Amino acid sequence: MKTDAAAPAPIPARAGTGAAFRSDGTRTPPRLSARKRQRFAGWLFLTPAIAYLLFAFALPIVYNIMLSFEQTSPATIADFTAPFAGFANYRFILDDPTSRAAIVHTFEFTAGSLIGQFIIGFGLALLFNIQFPGRTLGRSLIIVPWLLPLIVTGVIFKFLFQFEGGAVNQLLIDIGLAHHPIDWLDDPHLALWTVLIANIWLGVPFFTLLLYSALQDVPVELKEAAVLDGAGPWQRLRLVIVPIILPVIEVTMLLGFVFTVKVFDLVIGMTGGGPANATQLITTWSYNLSFQEFSFGEGAALNNVLLVLALICAPLYLFLSRDSLHRSAGAAR
Amino acid sequence: MTLLQKSSASRCLCTLAAAAALIIILFPVYAIIVGSFESTETLFSGTFYWLPHAATLDNYRTVLHEQAGHVLTSLIVGLGTALLTLVVAVPAAYALSKYRLRVTAVIVSSLLVAQIVPSIVLATSLFIVFHWIHLLNSYPGLILADGTYAIPFGILVLRAFFFSLPNELMHAARVDGASEWQTFRRIIVPLARSAVITVGVFAFLAGWGDFIFALTILNGSGIEPITLGIYTYLGNYTGDWGAVMASAAVAIVPAAVLLVIAQRYIASGLTAGSVKG
Repeated sequence: MKTDAAAPAPIPARAGTGAAFRSDGTRTPPRLSARKRQRFAGWLFLTPAIAYLLFAFALPIVYNIMLSFEQTSPATIADFTAPFAGFANYRFILDDPTSRAAIVHTFEFTAGSLIGQFIIGFGLALLFNIQFPGRTLGRSLIIVPWLLPLIVTGVIFKFLFQFEGGAVNQLLIDIGLAHHPIDWLDDPHLALWTVLIANIWLGVPFFTLLLYSALQDVPVELKEAAVLDGAGPWQRLRLVIVPIILPVIEVTMLLGFVFTVKVFDLVIGMTGGGPANATQLITTWSYNLSFQEFSFGEGAALNNVLLVLALICAPLYLFLSRDSLHRSAGAAR
Repeated sequence: MTLLQKSSASRCLCTLAAAAALIIILFPVYAIIVGSFESTETLFSGTFYWLPHAATLDNYRTVLHEQAGHVLTSLIVGLGTALLTLVVAVPAAYALSKYRLRVTAVIVSSLLVAQIVPSIVLATSLFIVFHWIHLLNSYPGLILADGTYAIPFGILVLRAFFFSLPNELMHAARVDGASEWQTFRRIIVPLARSAVITVGVFAFLAGWGDFIFALTILNGSGIEPITLGIYTYLGNYTGDWGAVMASAAVAIVPAAVLLVIAQRYIASGLTAGSVKG
């Protein structure tokens, strides 16, 4: 791609010297047309980004695909010589009960997170859309969870959900909702729900912010017209507000999906995938396969399952971002 | 008085509801701060204290002793990530917004897709690639990997900002004889200062808060950021909650500082089509 850039305009990197002014004020004839010179400068500005994308995204993705067809061992990662394994790594993923459980958990975790985050986030967005004292302060504080390192969030939730001395159990017992402490993190039937709750907590601010800014753009006249037509609050929401902000809801759900299939730090911090792999997600199990068991081929195969899952929504994402994609460029002709 | 205005009673009710939601949302941060001042005996007593109980600075003494180097490492990684992100993203965003290049649509699509790629996918391959080119356990390796959080996001945010700058600026600069680089450096970058700062701050936070690349690419001793320090506490002495809380409190300082000084930029930065993680 870099050679493409240089081909039409083989001039030194000092772009822009072509049309300089002489000291006597007359203009030197440009060696290249202004258009070509500008295009060359544009390419130069873009070169670091293209190089970075190739190195940090294209190369790992392609290599991950190659790796998933190799029979890796701790010895073979040192050189290029891992033997071809065919589909053995993918067959392993399909047969391995933990891998299959991790895929199922990822679906459950993602669906549960999106539902919970949307309902709570939309509710809070509607709340913050009302003028009330302290609204601005509340809105700026709501993003705090989003700024914490994710591993910190994981660790603090591990602390709050402790069996003994955890804030959640203490609260439930104090207000009489539970008689005995609940084993949030060590009960295999409960642990996935616990990390799900933590992840909903983590995602709600994001949903609230995006949906709130969409609600701000709904014209007041439309809502008032609906009131005059006798629409109640529920009808106003369903028939006026939701249709108007639907595009933002779609984007928000899509981004929420993308965040959630990637979740790693939170689960590692809270449960490490346990107890008995009950909270193992594709991400955490892939880490385990590659970096604990050094089966990089199997880890890579599971990575590709995750990549396909994450990229399912890429066409939709690109479609929803089409305005930005096709926005015409400016100054240079 | 419009039709949609609420009575003052119902508005107070809204304040109460919002306050309740915020208590839940902010409670973990409160718990970290209070917990960081509690003694190990208190944290192990099996009772959760809602209010500070027998405050002590012991945990911070432990953390100062054991984590000071990790904080320095995290600062280097955060600043390095911010620098790398700006060097790559600012010119690229300018090219993608103000130059009519044939690749623009392809690159912007790639950036959108790049934000979707899970970090564990990149980490697995980068571990082996870095093994070959000797970047494991190094600052450049970790910073290059951490750039994957911030660079696609940064380019897209800055690009959206550059669209808001009038094209006449560049025309005028060219008529005055400025080179393309001078136009960019002297006119565009100063005007984009707030957006550049926003992206730089987010890149810093991405590098500071990264865990997955630190866990995979720093597989040996030596370089260890604070996120890894917290995780190591958790694994090694499953009990030392006081030290865990104090390190966590230190790890959230940059976010807190950011919230105070760059508040107005954050909401717009966050909502500009970003994907974290």
